[in-house]
Amino acid sequence: MLKTFLSHQQKSFWRSRNKGGSIAAQVVLGFFMLYFLAIALAIGFGMASFLPKIFKDQDAITSFNGLILYYFAFDFLMRMQLQELPTLSIIPYLHLKVPKRKIIQFLNAKAMFSAFNLWPFFIFLPFCFIHILSAYGGLTTLMYIVAILSIMVFNNYLVLYIKRKSISNIIYTVIGLGVLAAFAALEYYKVISIMKASDAIFGSIAAQPYLGLIFTAAAFGIFTINSTYLRKNLYVEELSTAQEKKVSTDYAFLNRFGKVGVLAALELKLILRHKRSRSTAMLGFLFLLYGFIFYKEKAIAGNEFGKMMFGAIFMTGIFIITYGQFLFAWQSTHFDGLLSNKINFKDFIKAKFLLFTIACTLVTILASFYGFLSPKLLLLHVATYLYNVGFGIVVVLYLGTMNYKRLDITKSASFNYQGMGATQWILVLPYALTPILIYLPFGALNMPYVGLMVLSAFGLIMLLMRGFWVNYITKRFEQQRYKMSEGYRE
Amino acid sequence: MILEVNNLQKIYGGKTVVNIENIQIQQGETIGLVGNNGAGKTTFFRMLLDLIRPSQGTILSKGENVMQSDAWKNYTASFLDEGFLIDYLTPEEYFTFIGSLHDLSIADVKAYLAKYADFFNGEILNSGKYIRDFSKGNQNKIGIAAALMQDPEFLVLDEPFANLDPTTQIRLKTLIKTLKTERTMTTLISSHDLNHVTDVCDRIILLEKGIVIKDFHTDENTLKELEAYFSE
Repeated sequence: MLKTFLSHQQKSFWRSRNKGGSIAAQVVLGFFMLYFLAIALAIGFGMASFLPKIFKDQDAITSFNGLILYYFAFDFLMRMQLQELPTLSIIPYLHLKVPKRKIIQFLNAKAMFSAFNLWPFFIFLPFCFIHILSAYGGLTTLMYIVAILSIMVFNNYLVLYIKRKSISNIIYTVIGLGVLAAFAALEYYKVISIMKASDAIFGSIAAQPYLGLIFTAAAFGIFTINSTYLRKNLYVEELSTAQEKKVSTDYAFLNRFGKVGVLAALELKLILRHKRSRSTAMLGFLFLLYGFIFYKEKAIAGNEFGKMMFGAIFMTGIFIITYGQFLFAWQSTHFDGLLSNKINFKDFIKAKFLLFTIACTLVTILASFYGFLSPKLLLLHVATYLYNVGFGIVVVLYLGTMNYKRLDITKSASFNYQGMGATQWILVLPYALTPILIYLPFGALNMPYVGLMVLSAFGLIMLLMRGFWVNYITKRFEQQRYKMSEGYRE
Repeated sequence: MILEVNNLQKIYGGKTVVNIENIQIQQGETIGLVGNNGAGKTTFFRMLLDLIRPSQGTILSKGENVMQSDAWKNYTASFLDEGFLIDYLTPEEYFTFIGSLHDLSIADVKAYLAKYADFFNGEILNSGKYIRDFSKGNQNKIGIAAALMQDPEFLVLDEPFANLDPTTQIRLKTLIKTLKTERTMTTLISSHDLNHVTDVCDRIILLEKGIVIKDFHTDENTLKELEAYFSE
């Protein structure tokens, strides 16, 4: 029976409509996975050499022990966000002559097929074999592995259980990340130490190998709880997340923009009420940290804005890029309705400009905390902001009119390549290269501030030309609308 | 004349889906479009609403080509399928949105909705659900009500009776008949239900593989004629 289920799953994967159409996206996704696995493997093998360098005053095994709980705490939070409940796929079987027990077995087995259950193998096992084996011998190594894999299984089913009880929420994840960061900070300032706790736990496994079985017992426990819960609640409407009462909302601040504001409010609701657009918007806030990668002290001191520009453009324009790359397809399910109703296309395009401008302004204000690093960065942000608002929106809207792929926005955004087409892949290039090319000659002539000024001027001129661009995009939209609506209907 | 179709063709991959030489629709007519699946009814409707570009020919609404001018949107209301609904809104939000496009205030919309309390049967308003969470029948009701709210001179509905419960089917028929006499509304509907079509329409257009086979005014024999045609 289990085999039949799995073969159906396999078929549903290979025969699903989106998969066939976007093999390229699958290949890219495959490369991403390989890339991540390679990183995991590198960490796994590299840990032995770089752990002593990071934590100088303790030996590698102590550091390793200390990191395990951190990893799984992080793993837990990521799972809360990304791991999907395998439920909908069982609906066709519920009314057939299939014992409930089998269906639950299938759900449980399917839940194990997750990338999260792959990484620990690559990250932790190499170190276990290289170091623990030589330090403590075979039995201890075995129990280490048993303990680590048990925690992995524990996390796996705990997350599913929590999600099934539908107490999960993006807010909780954010809070969880905050708590984790707080612990890391406390650790840093040596107030309390999870690392010590983690080390104590795994140290005791080294001393008493069989203690590792406690984790196995815990994993088995949560597995049983999960199965029992499923057994009692095997009804489709109870398995999916609970329905809360929906209320009508009105965004008063958009009303002053008249019909354009009405359309912008409509899109704002779209963003807030769908999983994919919501997580896309959330991603924007996460990218606020991007600057810490790009803004190196040396680059700041040397006014090397060219090097930091990519980061700045991405950060201030993140919403334009991530949301804009699928533009017009967000509304693919009701595109016909938008076209046949009494909506002026110019207002429709203006609403997009309005929404992007508001979002970009907001993010730029939030990103101004980098001013503490150096006030120069604020100048950089202003320049990229003007570019994003003045020209970036135009690029995105123009490419949007060439996007004919229907987008399923009810699914989560992470690793979701449905609706990806050529437009999405080529977007980033002109978008990010244009400002860098504008800046580059001035950077090379060692006139960084002039470069920023020229870029700002470019953005400002484009911004002043907005009326022209609105007309241009509207015209383009009118030409393309048949092709777009045809693609969105599929 | 509210609508004139001339030499209209739509070709998909070498196959002619719609091929209509001429249709003229006068103000105040109620027209039923019938035909089996693949007769080209929905494609015709989509071209009418400027959602599909015809391969050839023109559609004139009040003498203006629908592709060149947006004026028809002022007096035409339509509901073809769920693709016309903005499904992440609550029904109230959706009605308010549609109302705002026609410069109706929230109070106007409320007043209108109050009139249709019967039609909604207490299931639509204040339900605390998004449109996507409604059953198909109720989604249909929302779409039809939103179309009627626009106070159209010309109403286009694709299979309005499908998925509706019997009570609502009868109410819809009465509604179309009253609006026709009250404000000479022109209605174009398609349906697979021959009973309803002959009951509500005063003119029937029969499509087969995109071609107009019959175009006639209804009388007491119409239903039998149609049944005879479809049972062949």
